[in-house]
Amino acid sequence: MGIADMLFKRTSTMALTVIVGAFVFERSFDVLTNTIWDKINEGKQWKDIKKNYES
Amino acid sequence: MISAVAKSGNLAPYLKNTSQAVVSSLKTSVKPVVVSSDKVVAPTPVSKSTDFSLGSALNRGKISVQYGLNGPLQIRSAHTDVRVPDFTYYRKTSTLDPTKKAEASESSRKTFAYTVTAGGFVLTTYAAKNLVGTFVTSMSASADVLALASIEVNLNDIPEGKSVTFKWRGKPLFIRHRNGKEIATESGVDLGSLRDPQHDTERVKDPKWLIVIGVCTHLGCVPVANAGDFGGYYCPCHGSHYDASGRIRKGPAPLNLEVPPYEIKDDGMVIVG
Repeated sequence: MGIADMLFKRTSTMALTVIVGAFVFERSFDVLTNTIWDKINEGKQWKDIKKNYES
Repeated sequence: MISAVAKSGNLAPYLKNTSQAVVSSLKTSVKPVVVSSDKVVAPTPVSKSTDFSLGSALNRGKISVQYGLNGPLQIRSAHTDVRVPDFTYYRKTSTLDPTKKAEASESSRKTFAYTVTAGGFVLTTYAAKNLVGTFVTSMSASADVLALASIEVNLNDIPEGKSVTFKWRGKPLFIRHRNGKEIATESGVDLGSLRDPQHDTERVKDPKWLIVIGVCTHLGCVPVANAGDFGGYYCPCHGSHYDASGRIRKGPAPLNLEVPPYEIKDDGMVIVG
């Protein structure tokens, strides 16, 4: 409760929190959606079959 | 209701200002008379609530008003029969108890509200960043500019035996640093056995460096480097085998891998295209 109040009380700190949060959110969202995509398309992409052709 | 607006003026000290609160103007309730008791009796609630039944309870016909200096100057309805619904389902649990002060739950309520708002701001910032980024990247080099672009590669960075892939004009470009054994093998291949006969010297300027476009001449897949039976490239789509000079040896492809125009500079740089 105290931490959240400290961040949100001033507009400037709130803005900073939002910007940092946006970077964090974007990165984690990308990782999450990429994982879901790769899971759904298991074995169909080059990265999955690449090992069969390395010699 | 007739309301009297009177400026008392000189009569002010002699007038008594009285107002009387009545529960309701409907016929079913007490008539407006001076009631001696302090308590205002609330009537039982009206059970009928259709337009017709409610309308029939209104005063119609002769409405008489007593207007004078010795009676009440104001008749006001007390509205004590109004029923306020129970909103406890919609209230926060921390605010349900009417005896508790609001300040006790203030910080948790504020925190929740501001956190949700901040979350909304984060999502908006993400969307705005992507939107602005879309428009800004639209100003980067367009496809027709890239289509005629040249690429400059430092050959010193490519170790012997390795084939490195670059993106050039939208297509993969293979640059292979060949060792002596590969060069000798490729030079010694009999041209009669080749589907698309080309000597190794026709395909390379410096025999150490093989530079070809990595697009299979069969149906356009990208061959895999250091794979296949001939020590060169192998196309996984339909099984075309290319040798270390990029020539087709086995499989459905009709032609050798295309050699783009390039210049090898003295300092170990090659400019392709």
